[in-house]
Amino acid sequence: MVVFVILAVLAIAGAIGTISFKSGIYSALSLVGTLLTLAMMYVTLHAQFLASVQVMVYAGAIMVLFLFVIMLLNESQMSGADPLPWVQPVAIAGGIVLAAALAFTAFQFKAPKNLETATAALQGGTPGAIGETLFTKFLLPFEAVSILLLIAAIGAVSLVHRQPAHNEALETTSEHATDNAYSDETSSNPAKVVA
Amino acid sequence: MLTDILLTLLKAVGVVLGLLTTFAYMTLIERRLLARFQIRAGPNRVGPLGLLQPVADAIKSIFKEDLVVTAADKIIFWLAPFIAITMALSAFGAIPAGPAGSLFGQDPWVFNLDIGLLFILATTSMGVYGIFLAGWSSGSKYPLFGGLRSSAQIISYELGQGLSVLGLLMLTGTMNLVGIVNWQAEHGILILFQGVAFVTFVISSFAETNRTPFDLPEAEQELVAGYLTEYSSIKWALFQMAEYVNMITASAVISTLFMGGFKGPAFLGETIANIPFIWLFAKIALWLFIFIWVRATLPRMRYDKLQQFGWKFLFPVALMNTLATAAYKAFLPNSSLWYLGIFSVLVVIAMIVFSGSRDWQKVDVKTRAVAGD
Repeated sequence: MVVFVILAVLAIAGAIGTISFKSGIYSALSLVGTLLTLAMMYVTLHAQFLASVQVMVYAGAIMVLFLFVIMLLNESQMSGADPLPWVQPVAIAGGIVLAAALAFTAFQFKAPKNLETATAALQGGTPGAIGETLFTKFLLPFEAVSILLLIAAIGAVSLVHRQPAHNEALETTSEHATDNAYSDETSSNPAKVVA
Repeated sequence: MLTDILLTLLKAVGVVLGLLTTFAYMTLIERRLLARFQIRAGPNRVGPLGLLQPVADAIKSIFKEDLVVTAADKIIFWLAPFIAITMALSAFGAIPAGPAGSLFGQDPWVFNLDIGLLFILATTSMGVYGIFLAGWSSGSKYPLFGGLRSSAQIISYELGQGLSVLGLLMLTGTMNLVGIVNWQAEHGILILFQGVAFVTFVISSFAETNRTPFDLPEAEQELVAGYLTEYSSIKWALFQMAEYVNMITASAVISTLFMGGFKGPAFLGETIANIPFIWLFAKIALWLFIFIWVRATLPRMRYDKLQQFGWKFLFPVALMNTLATAAYKAFLPNSSLWYLGIFSVLVVIAMIVFSGSRDWQKVDVKTRAVAGD
């Protein structure tokens, strides 16, 4: 219980930090903090697999990409003006609805199985137990999600895929030297580059 | 209960001290070996054979002035080295160094998780935060480039690394590192049956630890010292520590996954093969030597080629290995594992033969533009 309270306070502090910091980097780091405390909560709930996947996927990969983009965009270029003023009331309304739904669920929640059977079935949240459930009972949602992710990946690639403008500075002779794969890239033969 | 916690703490302190001592002497060994590779003498003045050099280096880095540039983001500039070293040190705790109960009746590991391998992958993937927060918080251009490079590089090679171990996990059926070692003791070491995965895993481990030929984040010739440029004194030393500890962990993981871990060769008999520590340490030492050897041999890759290699070669090859292992499990269950062994040998030979035709190395203008070169 003490552990839960500490983790809960940390998670909420991170969440508040995420939305209140002016600097993008600090916001993202607060979110990383929240994700890590969530992972620790999973550990206290004996969901080891979920915890490590949470760290690996969200904190280790997705947030690294977030930070990567924030660093590339260079914060100082951001203006103080709100580009989408109508979002704020919508977001507040959405947040209230979500909070109400969560509160309702939390107070109405009845465990589908009693605690002992559920704990026994979980087997300490090891990959074996989760994998079996995921690939038998929840096979269809699992595959649906993977197809969704594939669609998203293809969409992202097709959005950014365009023929690059011809830029001599970026090209080297080796791209044109199909006859000789070993040709020295640093060779600066302008005639060859244009060809 | 309390004694358990105390014992775990004691073992953790032991691991940390061991890792840091190894780090200190690794710097000396690396410099001496590199010197031999390059036909020089190397550091041999401080103490006999230069053995006190690490002590001198430690004293020097502690007493150097600790500079913080004005443009730096103070908090994150402080935080970054600590993130790097914490993640590096905590990953090693999951490595088993001997059979259960072989350390004076105790288990020779700090913790033994069912998700051991996932834990190591998760903590090492968190280690990248240290590097690229250092790059960003330094408040100057070159460190930022180094940080960006390292985050893109590590994300790319994490994929190849994760896919490499999938086939292995299908065979062993467990992510528990002790379980994987015991499986190998029973069936034979996994380098035989997962040769392709071994190659891709080793290559991505080099990339994950930022070692040559993948040490782009601190490429001296282009970026001064990359993410380390603005660091000095003890914080700089912490980053060095993290790099070397990561290297030791990578060596230990490669040994555990593919080379039988803490078990010695079976033909020496059960008693000798079960002696704790020495077999794992010998394998780690071998891999550390290979890390240094590669550094002395291979030139650094160009950044766009590094990305191309990761995405267009390593990733498909690792995926193919996963599919081949899955096909073996599905269509040839209970048949000899040697089919997989023959398959791996053929693919590795093909990779070596075709490494001459550098089609995958052809420069893609788009990738270069993205890489910011």
